[in-house]
Amino acid sequence: VFNATILGQVFVNGVSLSAIYILVALGFTLLFGIMRVVNFAHGEFAMLGAFALFHLIKDWHWPWLIALPVGVIGVALASLVLEWLVFRWFYQRMFESMIGLLGLNMMMMFGAVLIWDVHERNIPSVSSDVLMMGDIIVPIDRLIVVVIALAALAGFYLFIRHTRAGLAMRAAAQDLETAETQGVNTRRTYKIAFFVAILLAALAGALWGQIYAVSPFLGERPLLMAFIVVILGGMGSIPGAALGGVLLGFTESFVGTFYGAAWSAFLSFGVVILLLIVRPWGILGTPES
Amino acid sequence: MTMRKRVYCVLAAIVLLGWPWLTDDRFFHHVGVLICLTSIAAASLHLIIRSGHVSLCHTAFMAFGAYGSTLTVMKLGMPWPVGLLVGTALAAAVAAMIGPIVLRLTGKYFVLITFLMGEVVRMAIVESSDLTGGSNGIFDVPPPYPFLLSNRAYYYFALAFAVFGVGFCARLLTSEFGRAMDAIREGERLAECSGIPVIRFKVTVFVIACALAGMTGSLQAHYIKFVGPDAYSGFQSLNLVIMNVIGGMTSLAGALLGTVFMVTLPELLRGYVNLQQIMFGAILFATMAFLPGGLIELARRVRGFFQRDKAVAQSVAPTSAPARPQTRAPA
Repeated sequence: VFNATILGQVFVNGVSLSAIYILVALGFTLLFGIMRVVNFAHGEFAMLGAFALFHLIKDWHWPWLIALPVGVIGVALASLVLEWLVFRWFYQRMFESMIGLLGLNMMMMFGAVLIWDVHERNIPSVSSDVLMMGDIIVPIDRLIVVVIALAALAGFYLFIRHTRAGLAMRAAAQDLETAETQGVNTRRTYKIAFFVAILLAALAGALWGQIYAVSPFLGERPLLMAFIVVILGGMGSIPGAALGGVLLGFTESFVGTFYGAAWSAFLSFGVVILLLIVRPWGILGTPES
Repeated sequence: MTMRKRVYCVLAAIVLLGWPWLTDDRFFHHVGVLICLTSIAAASLHLIIRSGHVSLCHTAFMAFGAYGSTLTVMKLGMPWPVGLLVGTALAAAVAAMIGPIVLRLTGKYFVLITFLMGEVVRMAIVESSDLTGGSNGIFDVPPPYPFLLSNRAYYYFALAFAVFGVGFCARLLTSEFGRAMDAIREGERLAECSGIPVIRFKVTVFVIACALAGMTGSLQAHYIKFVGPDAYSGFQSLNLVIMNVIGGMTSLAGALLGTVFMVTLPELLRGYVNLQQIMFGAILFATMAFLPGGLIELARRVRGFFQRDKAVAQSVAPTSAPARPQTRAPA
């Protein structure tokens, strides 16, 4: 069964899964690294992103390439209300944030059930064409997802490395008090970080909904994956999130194809549990004092 | 025991023993059974929380109890007490195996690892469908004894176990052992320096709590006559955490208060499942954001507010009760 065609297919799936996982996990790890908030409601923002894309395309008939950025940015902007109502109470309160945001997770999920009901919907695909690369079939749909996800990752990298706001974020993540004494406006930095994190989550959700289906429970899986990715890479570490996403995406694609989805879940959970025991701060993280 | 306490105890006993006779409605008896059973689970989780860890896989241990007991009774044809013992022992054995490993993790890492372990147990139940019936579960679980088919009879049966389980937790917490647990939560290093074998204590607490959870699982499975993986999902574990959180994480009475609240409300709001969940979410958020001490803390603050005037009037008269230790959430 290990012939080139199937392995190629596995590779393509692995790349698209990895890209989406990294998008979700980056926001998660950003919120943790800077604000010490464990965002158990992260998946629900992905769900909102998917529904925004769905409605803009289905009800308003916007072209996909406009609907995606508008929907995703719209969700991120609207979420700033939640930042003000909910998240700001939990900044630098790790334990309380974990339990409290589980509550927000429940509110958003079941609120979505009230609004949208439980049934699944499909976002119309961008293109039903396929690209043949030798024997490997690459659906254009997936290719677009990968390209957009990679572009977003590149954009995020540039933002965090080469802008003043990104510098402020890295400073706040490293040492909050020193950053504040150097004149970093932490309140503003938190808001920007929150916006960016939700933007990435909503984008990941929209792309996820594009590949699979949209429902109020869409957020559960990305959240679980974000956990695993972030623990693998190290909580708060941005390169760690990228590494973890690639590891998980490819494992899932490979094991899932050859041995079934249940085994891939068992394997990734098992590895994470082992890692938590021997090296809780993750592969690329740093232990806390 | 003071006179006043004795009066309270007698009153509580009368209410608990007498109220099923106020009504013949089976539904109210059913709610009573659920409160009794859930209170054991919540109280046992309270033990773990008191030792400084928040476990998100407590219902997984109820699952061990439920499946262990059900399979012993249904597949091996054993009487129910054997099933109860097997279920409880299974939960305790698993806890004793993983406890020494996972209890070395603190704070967020413990929360995350228990969250994942709960998922693993649920997935394992769904996958091993030959034994556990997969996601369909096992139907027609027999009651412990034939006369326990009536809800009222089962209420007294469950009440007896609840008195034992919760009473055990309460006694443990007021003993020297309980004080050691509080010391470990408040300052692990300091506790260790004072000669408390921290890990051994934590593991002991974990095993006791999980054994009680296993016992609850068995009682529950034979009461609702069905076991399925959904009853033991992460959401259910979270509900147990909510019970502890809204009542107040540092008092057993708070956990019981939370149990009554969290069990009755869904049963009374049957038609509005989604609204219920939204409400629980809001309560959880609001408690963690503004009142991490829960309802007990609220009561204390209100009392403090009214007593402040009195205290000022009496100038510096010392209060009779020794100050409660400052409590903080496990970090």
